[in-house]
Amino acid sequence: MAKAKELFKEFKIQSVSEFFRRNAAMLGYTGKIRSLTTVVHEAVTNSLDACEEAGILPYVRVEIEELGKEHYKIIVEDNGPGIPEKFITHVFGKMLAGTKAHRNIQSRGQQGIGISGAVMFAQITSGKATRVITSTGGDEIIEAWVKIDVEKNEGKIVKKIKHPNPTGWRGTRIELEVKNVKYVRSKQGVFWYLKLTAIANPHAHIELIEPDGKLIVFPRSSEEVPKPPVEMKPHPRGVMTDDVYRMAKRTRKNTVKRFLISEFSRISDRKIDELIKYIAAIRLINSEEDKRIKDELFERLAKGEVDLILRSYGRRAKKVIREVQKLMDKPPEKLTWHEAEEIVEAFKYIKFLAPPTHGLRPIGEENIVKGLTGILKPEFVTAVTRPPKVYRGGIPFQVEIGLAYGGELESSFNLLRYANRVPLLFDAGACVTTTAARSIDWKRYKVEDLDRAPLTLLINVISVHVPYTSTGKQSIANEDEIYEEIRLAIMEAARRLQTYLSGKHRKLYQVKRKKTLQKYVPEIARALSILTGEPEEKVKEYFISLIERKFETVEETLEQPAEVEADAEA
Amino acid sequence: MLKREMPKERFAYDPQKVLRKLEELGREILEEVRQGKNPYLDIPTRGLNNVYFDEVKRVIRMGNKLSRRYFLNVAHARKFMQTLLIAAYVKRLVSEGKHASLREAYYANKHTIPGTKENTFEDQSESDPVIEDLERMLGVLREEMHLTADRRGYVYGDITIRDGEDEFNTSKLGMGGWAVPGTVEHIQFVDINVDYALVVETAAMADRLIEEKFPKKERALIIATQGQASRGVRRLIHRLHYEEGLPIIVFTDGDPYGWYIYSTIKQGSINLAYLSEKLATPEAKFVGMTMDDIKKYGLENVTEKLKGIPPNKKGGPTGDYKRIIEEMNYPWFQTKEWQRQLKLALQWGVRIEQQALANKSLEFVAKKYLPEKIANEELLP
Repeated sequence: MAKAKELFKEFKIQSVSEFFRRNAAMLGYTGKIRSLTTVVHEAVTNSLDACEEAGILPYVRVEIEELGKEHYKIIVEDNGPGIPEKFITHVFGKMLAGTKAHRNIQSRGQQGIGISGAVMFAQITSGKATRVITSTGGDEIIEAWVKIDVEKNEGKIVKKIKHPNPTGWRGTRIELEVKNVKYVRSKQGVFWYLKLTAIANPHAHIELIEPDGKLIVFPRSSEEVPKPPVEMKPHPRGVMTDDVYRMAKRTRKNTVKRFLISEFSRISDRKIDELIKYIAAIRLINSEEDKRIKDELFERLAKGEVDLILRSYGRRAKKVIREVQKLMDKPPEKLTWHEAEEIVEAFKYIKFLAPPTHGLRPIGEENIVKGLTGILKPEFVTAVTRPPKVYRGGIPFQVEIGLAYGGELESSFNLLRYANRVPLLFDAGACVTTTAARSIDWKRYKVEDLDRAPLTLLINVISVHVPYTSTGKQSIANEDEIYEEIRLAIMEAARRLQTYLSGKHRKLYQVKRKKTLQKYVPEIARALSILTGEPEEKVKEYFISLIERKFETVEETLEQPAEVEADAEA
Repeated sequence: MLKREMPKERFAYDPQKVLRKLEELGREILEEVRQGKNPYLDIPTRGLNNVYFDEVKRVIRMGNKLSRRYFLNVAHARKFMQTLLIAAYVKRLVSEGKHASLREAYYANKHTIPGTKENTFEDQSESDPVIEDLERMLGVLREEMHLTADRRGYVYGDITIRDGEDEFNTSKLGMGGWAVPGTVEHIQFVDINVDYALVVETAAMADRLIEEKFPKKERALIIATQGQASRGVRRLIHRLHYEEGLPIIVFTDGDPYGWYIYSTIKQGSINLAYLSEKLATPEAKFVGMTMDDIKKYGLENVTEKLKGIPPNKKGGPTGDYKRIIEEMNYPWFQTKEWQRQLKLALQWGVRIEQQALANKSLEFVAKKYLPEKIANEELLP
């Protein structure tokens, strides 16, 4: 344990540039295409988050200029609240200082490094400072060149100019110069990233100017700014040792007991008593030497026989309980790594209420429909937002599905993956969304050949803690509960698609029927005219109006699927 | 002796009747459509399951199963259109007094439907059934609708016929007699100088009888069917019997095929069950060949073996044997006499041709066999 503790300390003191280089993969700066996408992602995310918090309908414009071979200038401009002068270094300079880094909040970033990482990347590859132009809408516009002081882990304004702001412009424009990156219009590139972002954020107007000067607009399709996510206290089942340890260091509570009750959800005074008993039991069991007995006792503990186990240790148990009670009364900052570990271990045996889910912010069915409709222009679209669920016993999550079909979609299956609204562009194969989508028997829903169907599926997994398969945070791990939820959501959406497709087939069939009947009318009219002496044109009219009436009534019954079936039988 | 009987039917050819029926059909459909109803045609179902044997009238008749063909049903619409097309064509034919063959009717009505790549009729196999449907729907003969089939068969004997503007005696047209046209509806019998009609299966036998002056000597009318009797011939037989009171005697080979020819003339056929009342002649009698003839006239040496596998052998019955067993089960062969003949045929495994009688002598059939059997009324029912 001592080792882990040291490591953690080391982690805090290592130089920022060192940290950046070591964790480039984790931070999203691997590969030429991906690095560029990550820079854009950080800037756009910043813009969207800022607008969201300020209740502004975002207007984001991304411009990529090619300066040379693998050398680009990235410009991201928004109409957000702007950055007050004194916060500029804070926002763009400080690594690991992001406001959300250690909050239990469903955030777009989650990387904890954000735009400062992009500034750092620009600095490392091109040596250039990042140009920031911002105004909060007041009298002046600030133009600043920001660099990161790698020694101090701080932002540094290299140059600053103040301009008057006669038009009252508000927003932020940042310009980063980066090398060793490449603009490609692939499914991993900026274009695709922005497209997916636009779909998941229908309230945003997003524009892209590609290196060749081409302007692409993803227009806004919703006029509603989503509410920013609220912070949620972590659930005991959803934390790891280092979370508890770190939180204990920062808390303002006086005792471990108070700290646990106030900073975690679902922990009450009574739960603390329970926790004490469990920790004591774990300590006692761990003191057993025989592995067989140990395993057996842990098994019994898992069944909730904590009191019986303690009783079997008699007076020794009472002593240990007293020790644990002391631990609960000590100041939280004195909590050791080992003790934090014990608490987390005990959490696993205790039953807690399911975590609250109010902190989760889905895109919402309505907005998914708007996003898919606005950007993809399909002929059919539906969305399913499942109620929140919990995985690993304590981590709340929620699954959302959007399904678009036909219209302007190409005849190929597209899976748009998101975690907390952020598009996932890499490692699709390893992602639970992919395996879940592929596990569906699409034929049952009238989709004969999924890979050749004009079908786009959007999957958004929302959680305060999305279980990624790797540090790259580009694919979601195969947690049973998440997998099942995704499947259920897809099946619900697919059932609606099936209903639509059946109706569509029927409509097409009706049109065909009508045509079939109509083409015989002239022949029949001539024959009947010969047989009866009635003028041919008149006979034709009778038949045409007969057909019209027939299909009018059929179209009416189409509104009510149950009756359509009955009609088909007749 | 066979003598002409009192006529039971009268010459009934009336082109106006067909026209009236066609117009009625058109009016009914038009009225339905005008009232916003889905127009339909009621067509008696074809096939074995809508056929039965009328024990009283002793003919194969059509049941009353109808299939209703709606215009607004996509599966029916094409047939609906085709039926009306043919109906209109028939109206033109009849009112203009023209006749057309089935194939002509097909070509006359085949054209591309405007605005499509579809033809009104793709094949004659589409138009022929539509014509049959019309016959059954309206209860009129194809011949009455001036649609003719292939002609086959001829007549020789002392009767005078009026066919349009021509009038002639069928015994004065040479040895070939008078070829029966596809349609005999309009034929009128001016004078009948015979006592009965002898229907003969093979042309060779008919020619033999004509050469032997059999018609003259026996006051008989020879009708050669040349195999299975055509509709024209069957209608002619029917009319001669019912309108002119001529007894009908059938003379075929002594084999299942010959007996079936007799059965068709007498009871009608399954395919044309709806026409039995106009085509069949249940009073017809059968003179030969029978199995008993073999014994009686010592023809054992000139029999032929039946084809196929007998019922008691492995794989049987097939071929002629199978056919005989089927005939044994026909309701109209459920008589002692016929069951005996059919059983003997099975038992002996032989057939006997009409022309086998030539074994005795060329004149034998005309001088002895037929006159004797007919005079003694050794006829099968």
